[in-house]
Amino acid sequence: MSIVAPVRWNRFAQLLHWLIALLIIGLGIVGLWMTSMTPSIDKINIYLLHKSFGITVLMLVGLRLVWRLATRHPAEMPGLAWQRWSASIVHFALYVMMFVMPLSGWLFNSASNFPLHWFGLVKLPALWGPDPTVKFWALQVHEYGFWTLAALVGLHSAAALKHHYFDRDETLRRMLPGMPPPSKGDQP
Amino acid sequence: MILRHLVFALALSAPFVAHAASWRADPKSSTLDFSGIYQGDVFDGHFKTFDAAIVFDPAQLAASRFDVKITLASTDTANSERDDSLRGADFFDTAHMPVATYTATHFRSLGGNRYAADGTLSLRGISKPVTLTFAWAAGPTPALVGDAQLNRLDFKVGGGQWADTSMIGNAVKVHTALKLVAATPAANSVRK
Repeated sequence: MSIVAPVRWNRFAQLLHWLIALLIIGLGIVGLWMTSMTPSIDKINIYLLHKSFGITVLMLVGLRLVWRLATRHPAEMPGLAWQRWSASIVHFALYVMMFVMPLSGWLFNSASNFPLHWFGLVKLPALWGPDPTVKFWALQVHEYGFWTLAALVGLHSAAALKHHYFDRDETLRRMLPGMPPPSKGDQP
Repeated sequence: MILRHLVFALALSAPFVAHAASWRADPKSSTLDFSGIYQGDVFDGHFKTFDAAIVFDPAQLAASRFDVKITLASTDTANSERDDSLRGADFFDTAHMPVATYTATHFRSLGGNRYAADGTLSLRGISKPVTLTFAWAAGPTPALVGDAQLNRLDFKVGGGQWADTSMIGNAVKVHTALKLVAATPAANSVRK
């Protein structure tokens, strides 16, 4: 194992990053829309998919956290102290929210007394029994959590684009698959 | 007017024809439960409000009679979304048909303390035969514990798009445990 930290995120980390990003955006859009549907079989099926993809995100984020803690990852990009601090805070908050969202959804589902079958294949246990109070608070967390996560994704994306287009550094490129290794001058 | 006199005369003579004791389910300690299948999982529910007038005597099955009225809006499956759906037009349609009735006048002995009531359930304006098998524990406050099974689609509960039985199973199991108290003749006549 090299002592020097890698300069790019490895392929598995990149795959997880973009797969989770895609799922979160899709879940957010569908989640905003599905609650206004009138009750129907279609609505139930959309909810089933929302729940199943949400649980998928939970599993992928768990895998990603393990991967991140267990493998070497690129060193922090150089930058002003406040930028490094804020990047760390946003990254940490993103991880927290990526757990909070599926778990609060699962809890809301359990307290609402609905079953949970992951893509109709695996039956998942209820986290809680039928409980109107827990149901209410789980939904609050899920709803406000969504807007928190959306704001974090916005900050994270804006910062990545700012680094790419204004600072013209490797921040975004080292998370993009299929990019050439960075030139010497760009290395930290 | 003649008809009214006739009904009155029949009502007066009824107690002398049938000696089977008249009971009423104690609402506080009686339950009417059901269970169905949703997305392959069993869910349980019950009706909070129902009225069961029971005339029953193991020695006089021919004179026995059940009259049960179920307030459908009182359905509770510990899931407010599902309860709202059940009350809605696609399921119980409580706005138009708030009460389901179960009436039984034909009884069979199954041996021991077990009996079967071959009654009729009227739900959503549809009447179909439903058999309730039950155990009867005699006493000053008799207990009746019974089970029945029916198909929701026989009564068009959840027709149309909801008829898909892979989403909502057709078979519904009903379980009831009644604690009976003596019904006064006055109470019976008020209930009609």
